[in-house]
Amino acid sequence: MEIIWFGALAVLLVGYFALEGFDIGLGILLPVLGRSQEDRDRLVGAMAPFVLAGEVWLVALVGVLFGAFSTLEGAVLSGLYPLVVALLLTWIVRDAGLWFRRRADGAAWRTLWDGAICLGSAGLALTWGMTLVALARGLSAPLLAPAGVAGGIVVALAFCLHGWTFAAWRLPGDPAVRGARRTGRALLLTALTAAIPAVLAVAVVASALIEHAAPPETLTTLGAIVLPCVPILVGAQVWVWRTFSRGALPTFF
Amino acid sequence: MDVVDLARTQFAVTGSLHFLFVVLTLGLAPLVAIMHTRYAITGNPLHERMTRFWGQIYVINYALGVFTGLVMEFQFGLSWSGLSHYAGDVFGAPLAIETLVAFFLESTFLGLWIFGWHRLPRALHVTCIWLVTLTAYASAFWIMVANSFLQHPVGSVEQGGRLVLRDFGALLTNPNLVFALPHVISAGLWTGGFVVMGASAYHLFRRTKEQEFFTRSLRMGVVTAFIGSLFTVGFGYAQFGVIEATQPDKFDAAPEAALGLMIGIGQLLQFGVMFLLLPLLFRNLLARWRWLHPVLMLITPLPFVAAIAGWLVREMGRQPWLVYGKLSVADAMTPGLSRTAITGSFIGFAGLLGLLAIIDYLLIARAVRRGPEQVSLGMPDRPAEPAPMPAHSL
Repeated sequence: MEIIWFGALAVLLVGYFALEGFDIGLGILLPVLGRSQEDRDRLVGAMAPFVLAGEVWLVALVGVLFGAFSTLEGAVLSGLYPLVVALLLTWIVRDAGLWFRRRADGAAWRTLWDGAICLGSAGLALTWGMTLVALARGLSAPLLAPAGVAGGIVVALAFCLHGWTFAAWRLPGDPAVRGARRTGRALLLTALTAAIPAVLAVAVVASALIEHAAPPETLTTLGAIVLPCVPILVGAQVWVWRTFSRGALPTFF
Repeated sequence: MDVVDLARTQFAVTGSLHFLFVVLTLGLAPLVAIMHTRYAITGNPLHERMTRFWGQIYVINYALGVFTGLVMEFQFGLSWSGLSHYAGDVFGAPLAIETLVAFFLESTFLGLWIFGWHRLPRALHVTCIWLVTLTAYASAFWIMVANSFLQHPVGSVEQGGRLVLRDFGALLTNPNLVFALPHVISAGLWTGGFVVMGASAYHLFRRTKEQEFFTRSLRMGVVTAFIGSLFTVGFGYAQFGVIEATQPDKFDAAPEAALGLMIGIGQLLQFGVMFLLLPLLFRNLLARWRWLHPVLMLITPLPFVAAIAGWLVREMGRQPWLVYGKLSVADAMTPGLSRTAITGSFIGFAGLLGLLAIIDYLLIARAVRRGPEQVSLGMPDRPAEPAPMPAHSL
């Protein structure tokens, strides 16, 4: 049972990096690729339907940490206190940009929230890199170290690559990506690239995680309720990808 | 304030903000689902417009529910690691199920619903909003299971200084859950009903051209508020016996003013809805009596006030315990949490969420004011290709 829940945690973290990484990366690149409002609207429209289905992987990850690895949950989140606070604040700023940018008229309003998307995404990527490095080095190491900053830059670059590939796949030949076209296979490849930092971090902390798993009563109860729902969870995600991979762009975000 | 007080206040502020938005989400979701179903069955454009207008208000409100909810989830580990250490193997299970199953699906299906206009077949699109409603209620259920455990820690035994899960079924049948859950859900319907009433009254009072739209909406709002208020009050009073048996000193610890405020608002409004507003639906008198509309607008915030007061009673009545009778709030706080850390995060969370909450309410007010003519939810998609550049003539 410990192995199953460790697997769940690993899948959620890796899945988050692969499925949310391109949203974050495209957010960072928004002012670079989208020189005009029109271009930015297309880029946001391309990624918008995937954001809600992507960020829930992180929400679920922390839930699993709480339910199945409860002694670690408090230690990890409070041990990484400033990073977790920064992660939440930047995440919320990014999301606010997406939800609010089209809720009022005027170029200034939309530019303001596009700025929030870019800054929030950049902060989110950097914080993630620093968090993974801090996790891998152990919670006693200082949080603000050159290695952490380097990790943040690596994650941000990987997300940017993933985000750019997503844009060239969803908007093939678009001027925002200078006419580039990428296949689904290329997108899969950058998804794997974006997930590498998460895979490495999970590998380093694997044994500590499994040691701190909740007792069997808790894990079995959780499993009995969650496992039957897994096909629905996967099905809903597949449905999102099948629905929004091609065709016209939704305009709500 | 010492560090524990700061951490408590941070949780109270973010929790109250969260519930302000969640309570409306719970109330509007089924209403939007019903409107969408009517549209899907009849094809009547009025129902489509109602779905999009009220759906957009639901969605704008939902955003802040998510932002505040993220902070709530992470805050347990940030400020209260003593809770997850002591009771995480029990308390964590419902929270894990809520995030991994209920919220995961709610957010995924909501994305399909928001962006799926003109794309999903009508029946599947309607199914999405019903799944959103179902999973939102499932979320409420699991959160209330977790909260009720804090009020009355059943189903577990203490072993080696930590709680171990013994009987998960006892968590699901916790006496502090069985009346409180319908109480909270009905309060959501009540709030949703009042928001629909207040916004409809605005348009009827202003004599905008959407008279039929808002006459029907007003009717739906009043009926919803009637059902919601009836069950909120009923399940509210029903809890006194349970509280007497499980938390006898609850009302000594809770601020009396909050309890009085909740009961005062609740009782007054419930009678008002039942004996005044509901009968005035006869021949649409309520929609026609324009002098009453400012009153309807003015009372719109009251269910929100009562809902927050209710939570304050429930949570302050638990003090000084976090897990009632077992773990004190002070012992649950993260060891070594510094004043700098909690002050910094408090300013960050309360400042950002407070600002976004104000913006969100202004956006909701704007969407209401602009009316059903200018709704962006369900607007046509745009071609993936950029608009052709204007040709330069030499």
